[in-house]
Amino acid sequence: MVPLLLLSPLILLAALGAVWKARPVHAALLLALALALVAVLYLSVGAEFIGLVQFMVYVGGVAILIVFALLITRPGDEAAEVARRPRSLALGLVCVAPVLGILLYAVSKGLPVAAFEDANPKLPVQALGTELFENAVPAVLTVGVLLTAVLIGAALFAREPGPKSELPADR
Amino acid sequence: MRVPALIALVLGSFPSLGLAATDKPPLLTGESLPRLPQRLVEMALEALKAPDWLVSLASFATAAGTVVAVFLSAFALLSLIERKTLARAQNRLGPNRAGIFGILQPVADGIKMLTKEDIVPTKAEWFLHLVAPVMIVIPSILALGVIPYGREWLPVPLELGLVFFFATGTMTEVAVFIAGWASGSKFPMLGAMRAISQMISYELPLIISALSVVMLSGTLSLADIVAAQSGYHLGFIPAWNILTPWGFVAGIIFLIAANAESNRCPFDLPEGESEIVAGHMTEYSGFKYALFFMGEYLGLFAISGLGITLFLGGWQAPLPGLGFVPSWFWFFGKLAAIIFFFLWVRTTFPRVRVDQLMRFAWLCLIPIALLTLPVAALWHFTANPDGSNGVLSWLLCSAILAVPFIIITVIFNRRLAPSLRTYHYAE
Amino acid sequence: MESPAPTTRASSPPPAAGWSLPGIGLLKGMAVTAVNMIQSYYRKDRMTTVQYPEERAPISPNFRNFPFLVYDGDNMAGLRCTACSICEKECPPQCIYIVLDRDENGKSLKRPKVFDIDVSVCMNCGICAEVCPFDSIYMDGQYELATGDRFGGLLFNKETLARSTDYHAQLRPLEAAEVAARRKAEEEKKLAAQAAKVAKAKLEKEQKELKAKEEQEKGTGA
Repeated sequence: MVPLLLLSPLILLAALGAVWKARPVHAALLLALALALVAVLYLSVGAEFIGLVQFMVYVGGVAILIVFALLITRPGDEAAEVARRPRSLALGLVCVAPVLGILLYAVSKGLPVAAFEDANPKLPVQALGTELFENAVPAVLTVGVLLTAVLIGAALFAREPGPKSELPADR
Repeated sequence: MRVPALIALVLGSFPSLGLAATDKPPLLTGESLPRLPQRLVEMALEALKAPDWLVSLASFATAAGTVVAVFLSAFALLSLIERKTLARAQNRLGPNRAGIFGILQPVADGIKMLTKEDIVPTKAEWFLHLVAPVMIVIPSILALGVIPYGREWLPVPLELGLVFFFATGTMTEVAVFIAGWASGSKFPMLGAMRAISQMISYELPLIISALSVVMLSGTLSLADIVAAQSGYHLGFIPAWNILTPWGFVAGIIFLIAANAESNRCPFDLPEGESEIVAGHMTEYSGFKYALFFMGEYLGLFAISGLGITLFLGGWQAPLPGLGFVPSWFWFFGKLAAIIFFFLWVRTTFPRVRVDQLMRFAWLCLIPIALLTLPVAALWHFTANPDGSNGVLSWLLCSAILAVPFIIITVIFNRRLAPSLRTYHYAE
Repeated sequence: MESPAPTTRASSPPPAAGWSLPGIGLLKGMAVTAVNMIQSYYRKDRMTTVQYPEERAPISPNFRNFPFLVYDGDNMAGLRCTACSICEKECPPQCIYIVLDRDENGKSLKRPKVFDIDVSVCMNCGICAEVCPFDSIYMDGQYELATGDRFGGLLFNKETLARSTDYHAQLRPLEAAEVAARRKAEEEKKLAAQAAKVAKAKLEKEQKELKAKEEQEKGTGA
């Protein structure tokens, strides 16, 4: 309970900062911080595997990807961003409100309190692997094929269109 | 009293960390020597009737402190040995002024770094500029914590040691990006972009080559991976992963990728001195600069230690009958050999170009690393019931792994052989 | 903008006829550095490093650093400089400052009262040494010039600049010998000319006396 109480305000602050900051790089770094803190939260309740994977995939992968995209694109006008803020805020609230409502409803109604009685329900990694690769094999395979297709498609998009570049490779 | 109790409570709520020291090894054997400080602190606190949380916290801190102290001294020593080795390869003497054989050179360097002015550029974001060097050092130290250094010496016995290692490694990328961006200057930015693209590209072969080991060991715990490599074939050949066809190829890929991951020559583009000053470290001075170096070298130790654990049998002795030597001695011997190999490579090869770097990772390392996975599976399924592999299994696996090598040889001789070079803008 | 036509040249020998394995070149390179590393411990001819403060590499005769002034004899009195100020005028960065020494009547003593060179300004071009008609200023071989005094320590005056002819001979024997020979020849020529002048004057005097005598004799005769 203590980690939850300590971490959740920090996560909330970081997430709000990620939305509020006008400078995109700051927002991206705060997003990474929020995701990392969520990973710490997972670790603190004993879900090691999911916590470490959260760290690897979201902090190492997604956040870096966002940052990289920011680097190779032109930075926007910060003042215009701030000026647009009321409208963006309204739009964002409209989008977020239903999700938040469903979540709150689910938390208040859906989950039995008894699920928390067993502190640190240990799910060994091997059991997780068995679950994934024996019982859920079709889903895993489908996702794998989909991701491979995405990868190949991205490579095709990233190729330079038109004739080969002017400077031939020297080897 | 409140705050440490709170810290202990928070740390204690990470059940995986294994804070409670359960085993009580004998105090003064060679094997448990590295755990002597930890045991002494525990005993002292227990004698003083300290509360349990304080004992476990102090024990944990001492265990971590031992590892950090060992590797910080190794870092100091390596900074000297590296300069000496490079100097000898270039027919120079190297540092020999501070103390005999220049043994005090690291001390002198440290004093110099500490007394230098700490410059924060006007355009830099001072907070992020400060955070980046700290964030570079932390993951390296975290990663050092999960490596089994000896039979008795494993600072943090994590079930998911390997995943933890790679998860901490991703933090380095964020730190490098922050360093490059927060400096508010173009060379750090270029260096950071190079560094991130290189780290992402080489992390793939690194992880894939480690995966084959995980597949055959059936565990993600580094201690169990080492245990799986115990024993000897034919009575004298150690059963290390590097001495199998798939392990040999995966080990070489791991070695190359580890070299690139720790930004060392010939893959030191992120800090290519002749091109972009010092990359993401350009705007740093004084102790922050030293922290970058510390992080880099600690990361080198960590990733070499991981390579030893995965492929070179960890702390296992190379020959039977050497059990009387403490196991951590073998680990550090192997570490010294790997580090020397890195130094040797650094002093020999020139820096590669960015496009060569990327092509090598994506067109050469990753496909071959992917090939080691099915070969490892084949190795597993063609094994005899007792776990050893017959001649046929050896031949089959080697033949499959030889295919990419043959393809590369053909391409190398047909297309890539040095030929007449075309210059467009020179002359 | 048209790119220039590609030029082709062989940057390496043409590929050998046989097949080679990839990575062989890397191994060869590593062997080279290994040999370097090992041999550097026992082959003295590999190590060309000079341990500087204890030992110094001999400087080449063509090594040139900041200028110095030469004096003949044992002390500053024999300074060759005549304060003609040619070097001062020729010096491109104008680092030389000369004041002519005069006696109480304002007559030139043909020696410098002040001769300063600011070596923080001097650019080692050696023009002063080239233009000096009195063989007085030469380029030095001194390179350990570090000083704690940024201004005073780098402003060399007459006393710090002065060196004996022996120093010059030691620094650059060939140049010094040539200069000494030339100066000796000039000196001899000058002495000979003086001797000739003295002889001529004597002769003239004698003739004059003779003439006067003759005239006297004539006068008495008439």
